[in-house]
Amino acid sequence: MTGAAPLPLTVLTGFLGAGKTTLLNRLLRQPALDGTLAIINEFGAIGLDHLLVETSEERFALLDNGCICCTVRDDLVTTLTGILARRDKGELASVTRILIETTGLADPVPVLHTLLVAPALSGRLAVEGVVTAVDAVNGLATLNAHPEAVKQVGLAERIVITKTDLASDAELERLRIALGLINPAARVLEADMGHVAAARLIGTGFDPDALGRAAVDWFASATAPAGFVCSDPQAGDPGHVHGPGCGHHLPAGVVRTGHAGIETHAFVIDQPLSSPAFFRWLEYLTLLKGESLLRMKGLVELDDDRDRPLLVQGVQHVLHPPVRLPAWPDQTRGTRLVFIVRGIPRDVIERTLARFADVDAAAIKNPARGAMAASGNMAA
Amino acid sequence: MSAVHAVSDLVLTNGRIYTVDPARSSAEALAVRNGRIIAVGTDADVRPHIGPETRVVDLGGRLAMPGIVDIHTHMMMGGQAELFELRFGNTLRREAILDQVRAAAETTPEGKWIIGAQWGSDLLALFNSEESLALLDAASLGRPVMLRDDTYHNRWVNTAALRLAGITEDTPDPDQGSFGRDPSSGRLTGIMIEAAAGLIERTIVASGHYTEDMDRAAVAHSIATLNQHGVTAFLDAAAMQPVLAALKGLDDRGLLTAWASGAMPVTEPSFLFGVAGEELFALRDTFRSRHVRPDFTKIFLDGVPGARTAAFHEPYTPDAVFGCCFRGTTLATVPELVRWIGRCEDLGLSVKIHCAGDAAVTMALDALDVVRSFNGPTRLTHHIAHASYIRDADIPRFRELGMGADLSPFIWFPTAFLEGHKQTMGVERATRFWPNRDLLDAGALMAGGSDWPVIPNPNPWTGIEGLVTRQNPHGDFPGESLWPEQALDIATVLEIFTINSARMMGLGDVVGSLEIGKSADIIVLDQDVLTCPAGAIGKTRVLQTWFEGRLVHGTEALA
Ligand SMILES: [Zn+2]
Ligand SMILES: [Zn+2]
Ligand SMILES: [Zn+2]
Repeated sequence: MTGAAPLPLTVLTGFLGAGKTTLLNRLLRQPALDGTLAIINEFGAIGLDHLLVETSEERFALLDNGCICCTVRDDLVTTLTGILARRDKGELASVTRILIETTGLADPVPVLHTLLVAPALSGRLAVEGVVTAVDAVNGLATLNAHPEAVKQVGLAERIVITKTDLASDAELERLRIALGLINPAARVLEADMGHVAAARLIGTGFDPDALGRAAVDWFASATAPAGFVCSDPQAGDPGHVHGPGCGHHLPAGVVRTGHAGIETHAFVIDQPLSSPAFFRWLEYLTLLKGESLLRMKGLVELDDDRDRPLLVQGVQHVLHPPVRLPAWPDQTRGTRLVFIVRGIPRDVIERTLARFADVDAAAIKNPARGAMAASGNMAA
Repeated sequence: MSAVHAVSDLVLTNGRIYTVDPARSSAEALAVRNGRIIAVGTDADVRPHIGPETRVVDLGGRLAMPGIVDIHTHMMMGGQAELFELRFGNTLRREAILDQVRAAAETTPEGKWIIGAQWGSDLLALFNSEESLALLDAASLGRPVMLRDDTYHNRWVNTAALRLAGITEDTPDPDQGSFGRDPSSGRLTGIMIEAAAGLIERTIVASGHYTEDMDRAAVAHSIATLNQHGVTAFLDAAAMQPVLAALKGLDDRGLLTAWASGAMPVTEPSFLFGVAGEELFALRDTFRSRHVRPDFTKIFLDGVPGARTAAFHEPYTPDAVFGCCFRGTTLATVPELVRWIGRCEDLGLSVKIHCAGDAAVTMALDALDVVRSFNGPTRLTHHIAHASYIRDADIPRFRELGMGADLSPFIWFPTAFLEGHKQTMGVERATRFWPNRDLLDAGALMAGGSDWPVIPNPNPWTGIEGLVTRQNPHGDFPGESLWPEQALDIATVLEIFTINSARMMGLGDVVGSLEIGKSADIIVLDQDVLTCPAGAIGKTRVLQTWFEGRLVHGTEALA
């Protein structure tokens, strides 16, 4: 029985010591998250008094392509199919949403891969995204020391900075800069004494209009420098807009593992795309560059139906099933693509798009460059 | 010159030493220390390196050159065939083959397998009949018999073998293979096409027919055979675990007298059994040793033209089984190839792709084009194995994409293979075979390989002659030439069999030419192949083979 609407699902991940448990406990008490079933690693260590908690002990399996980043969470398949089966039988009727918590410094990708590739789960869950908790005091040091932490930030739709009351304004500012450099597309929220409004963290489920708007927002954040204006008094040029090569006032390690390592590439394409060619290119990209492709999202204008854009999302080697939206979510039409990558140069994406997706090279534009310049002018 | 000259272990003097260096220069003498060349030049240049302990070998004016590098062999099968199996040429006809089977059956204990190779694929239609099977059954005196064809892709087995493999009239064809059936009665004939061959081979392996001792003996025998013909480096083109284990075992004991590379199959081939793909790649460093470099993988993209299993752009000739418009099929898609090549590049492994038909060649080049576009340049060289039927438009792509052309097996001239191809493709298309001159003019990197034991003898000199003459060096098919416009000159061909093969093996800095610092892998020949008549090159005898300055074939005193 798969007729039911897909169940929204959020992945909560976070640095060691980021106060993920406290955050989870407080989140689950909010009325907005009534009906949320939380899947955690173990009861004892967390001590949640929430009614809807399942434990699932992390157990990994490799996909048969031999790629190390293509691990799946075997245990989650069992846990989630169990939950869906009980729901189909009329049990767990009150469950309206699932929240999966991962251990500190865990790679969120295996969870996302599991949700996307397990046949038993396909079409039954709507993955809304990854929420990453980052600790205001130790966040920068963790980013420096752990590439996994950089990945958690790179993959996030939303980032919650915790323990803000324990950090200085300057510390907070540096952390925000680092997070913005790693993942300009994510919305950054600050938890006030462990509290953040649940409604701001979770998505809106599988409503295509909302998905479209979310994609547009994501694209806008990825390309607009708003919030990137440097307010660090230590910086040589306070008030400048951060851009590539920036990070001059961050600790060296962040520049190395964060800024220089993870990049966001945004594209607009002024030409309707052929579906087979575009997906052929996307398949090659995920096959060859999957390990370096943390995240991709796109609104795609296909030549077979120019009024209904296709929402495309991918995590490393795996693509979400594409969703045909009923209409363009905003006034702007035309293909928009965002890639959060580690070590894929922009020109590789651009060249291969032209070559294998049959796109006229002149139709591929860089929106970030224009937006930056415009905003820079405004600041001046 | 008053410089201090290191004393050498070995000096070869008074020779005509063809170095195959970039200038194609010649020298008279050469000095070796610790297995490496320390001096090349005139006798006078090299003389200061002679000390009291130095072995000095007078070449008596003979031609010496770098050891041959064979880019495509099957070491286990080669040795097994020579030591443990029935061997017959692919020009032998049915009655003569049956005579050999009967003779072997008379001395083979009951229940033991009789294994043999290799019948000409042009006999396929004749063997694919109930009448032929009955003759084979009669000749085999109840012993199970398996006979491989000259492509090694197909088998002819008797009724006892079918019974042991559990194959009956009702058994469905395996994936990517089929059981031959008599066209008039529809009954099994013992012909096993492609993956069907694996069912028989697997049965033999499971019976414990091959032991580890046999494995090691087979590989050692193969290496000795190669050394005799002047080969001092080879790439095993389907290196399963037993092959790599035997090579490593021999090297550990100081018995490996050639540089060895292995191409690990990405999936279990139809004719070899055991772990493949990631599981095998993960073991590669346990087999790595001084002379063993398991740095290649192998993909079988199609079959062979004679069995209509190679993938072509144009259809095969009409046929009762395949109909009018059959083009063959590939065993992988472009995205699957892209994934494998990308994965292997991540692991630092080069890929050798078996492509017998021109459509398979196009697909392999298309996949490499995708990989290069995304991954940028690489130091790895991938190979198309048996680069033989190639569409004109694909020829320049070898150089553009850095794809190496593995020229193997030694069939650049009229052979029984070609006769089989004529039957399935028509004469005109079949004879547009091996566009070597076009590849050379287009700047492709070409390397020479035997594909032994697909070719029953790995002697490179017959192959070298054939590349120059395009005529059969064994005297078969007299007066016939295969596409003579594609002939190459001898100096180019020697490069193909030495430095080019070395580069394609990733050993271009170590072997392939006689230059200071390189391995002292040197062969001494009984004639000057650069000046002798082209039709005599195939009769060349290797008088001495030196591997790292050690004599591994021949005697030190040259008669
Ligand atoms: Zn992966
Ligand atoms: Zn800055
Ligand atoms: Zn071969």
